[in-house]
Amino acid sequence: MNAAPTHTFRAQAARALQDRALRDSMQHATSLFVEKRADGVSGLPIEEWRDRASEIRTYVLDHLWELLEQFTANATAAGAVVHYAADGDEARRTVAGILRDHGARRVVKAKSMVTEEIHLNAHLEQDGVQVVETDLGEYIVQIADETPSHILAPAIHKNRRQIGALFAEKLGFPYSENPRELTQMARSVLREEFLHADAGISGANLAPADTGSIVLFTNEGNGRMVTTLPKLHIAVLSLEKVIPHFSDLPVFIRLLPRSATGQILSSYVSVVTGVRKTGEATGAEHMHLVLVDNGRSEILKSGFREILKCIRCSACMNVCPVYRIIGGHAYGSTYPGPMGIVLSNLLDGMAVHHELLDASTLCGACVEVCPVRVPLTELIAGLRERKVDYGMADTRERLGMASFGLAAQSPRLFGLGQRLGRAFWPLLQRLDREQVLQRLPAPVARTFGRRNP
Amino acid sequence: MTSEHALERFVANARSVAAEVTVVEGHSEVVAAAREAIRVESSVYCPELSDLEKRLEIPEELRTSDFANASACIEEAFAAVAETGSLVWTSRAGKPVQAGLLPPHHIAIVDRNRIFATLDELFVQLGPETPTNITFETGPSRTADIELTLTIGVHGPERLTILVA
Repeated sequence: MNAAPTHTFRAQAARALQDRALRDSMQHATSLFVEKRADGVSGLPIEEWRDRASEIRTYVLDHLWELLEQFTANATAAGAVVHYAADGDEARRTVAGILRDHGARRVVKAKSMVTEEIHLNAHLEQDGVQVVETDLGEYIVQIADETPSHILAPAIHKNRRQIGALFAEKLGFPYSENPRELTQMARSVLREEFLHADAGISGANLAPADTGSIVLFTNEGNGRMVTTLPKLHIAVLSLEKVIPHFSDLPVFIRLLPRSATGQILSSYVSVVTGVRKTGEATGAEHMHLVLVDNGRSEILKSGFREILKCIRCSACMNVCPVYRIIGGHAYGSTYPGPMGIVLSNLLDGMAVHHELLDASTLCGACVEVCPVRVPLTELIAGLRERKVDYGMADTRERLGMASFGLAAQSPRLFGLGQRLGRAFWPLLQRLDREQVLQRLPAPVARTFGRRNP
Repeated sequence: MTSEHALERFVANARSVAAEVTVVEGHSEVVAAAREAIRVESSVYCPELSDLEKRLEIPEELRTSDFANASACIEEAFAAVAETGSLVWTSRAGKPVQAGLLPPHHIAIVDRNRIFATLDELFVQLGPETPTNITFETGPSRTADIELTLTIGVHGPERLTILVA
């Protein structure tokens, strides 16, 4: 799915840097998140928990297909219908087909990043389905006709005045810049939607294989509404959300909210297992689970598979010095920040997102906070190397990088490369309108007699 | 048996997330505390599934079976977790778990012997027969989606009262 435009990151980042309101919003939000996370983990055996969570997530990568089989069998036994979608297109068609089969025209949705990844809403709307996002931040972004700028707080880039103006314009409420009043406005509009929806669509934070359950963390309660009020519930989840055991949940319940917002726990954690059974008064009558591959099985085979350990807590973006200044939109990808740099390049291809690989200083702050120990800087560095190897880099950039590669490998070629570099440097500089070469050291004038190892 | 320590920890953690917690002793105190909790309510939903729920003595004129439009829901929790200050609800025994979500005021009664010190201890109790719905409720509904300003009561209740009986 190569929908995103390429070679725009630098321009977008430059624009973001000029946007004073955006910079203030980002600074405020990310500083608060970082502070709260630090408070939330202090005095706890957090390193032990991270080791355990990392171990479980590594096990998932080693046994993904086996776990998915188990998950499918158990979810099916609990009354859910499980679908496998190889790519975004198949996932979109599957969801649209289920809605059509049930005659569902009004859909309430709980925030789900994988549905953003596959652009589900736009597709369903084309199909004549009304889709309403119910997470407050996601709802704000939806009525503003924008995309989320943060995977957890989608409207983090907007201030209260902008949201007040938006609600006045789109919903017809009197202008307010009081967050409580604005929240009540959204509550009243969305409550009606919940009670009249034909179907609910959610994602899943985790999916224990031994029970075939999906687990949702929300603060607002919209996840609970979406999964319990409409008769039809569709959960869309990427393959790697699976974990082996229901009893593995405690460590993730401890780590996910703390890493995200510093909370002991999100207000609501729902564990949903199949459809409403005889004698029960909770649960959808029909439940469909759409497992989305969309490139995951390829990533699993690559040297970058550890990105699939990610549980989308957003801690890595909150601490990232680049994200904190430019915000999520500049990345031009569904997933921003350090995890987004890696995942976007693997999902959409380097032709689309290779510029994002520059959006990291490799300072390692993200690695320090990742609850499942994804080696983000290693993955970014590895992708930078691959960018050169696979010819995705800009020609001029590749020439420069390639001569370093040669230098490292062969003394003979090193000498030749140096001579060529010296000969062509002035020409390259003239061609280099985007000043790519400024980021590379110029070829040395002489070798100082150093022998290459 | 819940240790004193687990009880204290549950109360402290639940209060830290803006739940209003009262510890009561004996049935008459439960009834009195429940009555106090619904004093300002206009309509109250109670599932009346557990013995305790059946014996709450909610005034007839306040009772409603329509939880979507009730001003409060009062019910007994499956369990609680001290470590996180959470109430645990399950769809077992015909309990409509969504009833505690829709009214603006949720009043939960939890048996002090059902407070588990840690999540791990609770999970042993929950498995292996998983009910359709298990919900952990930790404080009232909240959002920080507007400038990260904490706002209580988005889609779920804006008030959570817990009576530890």
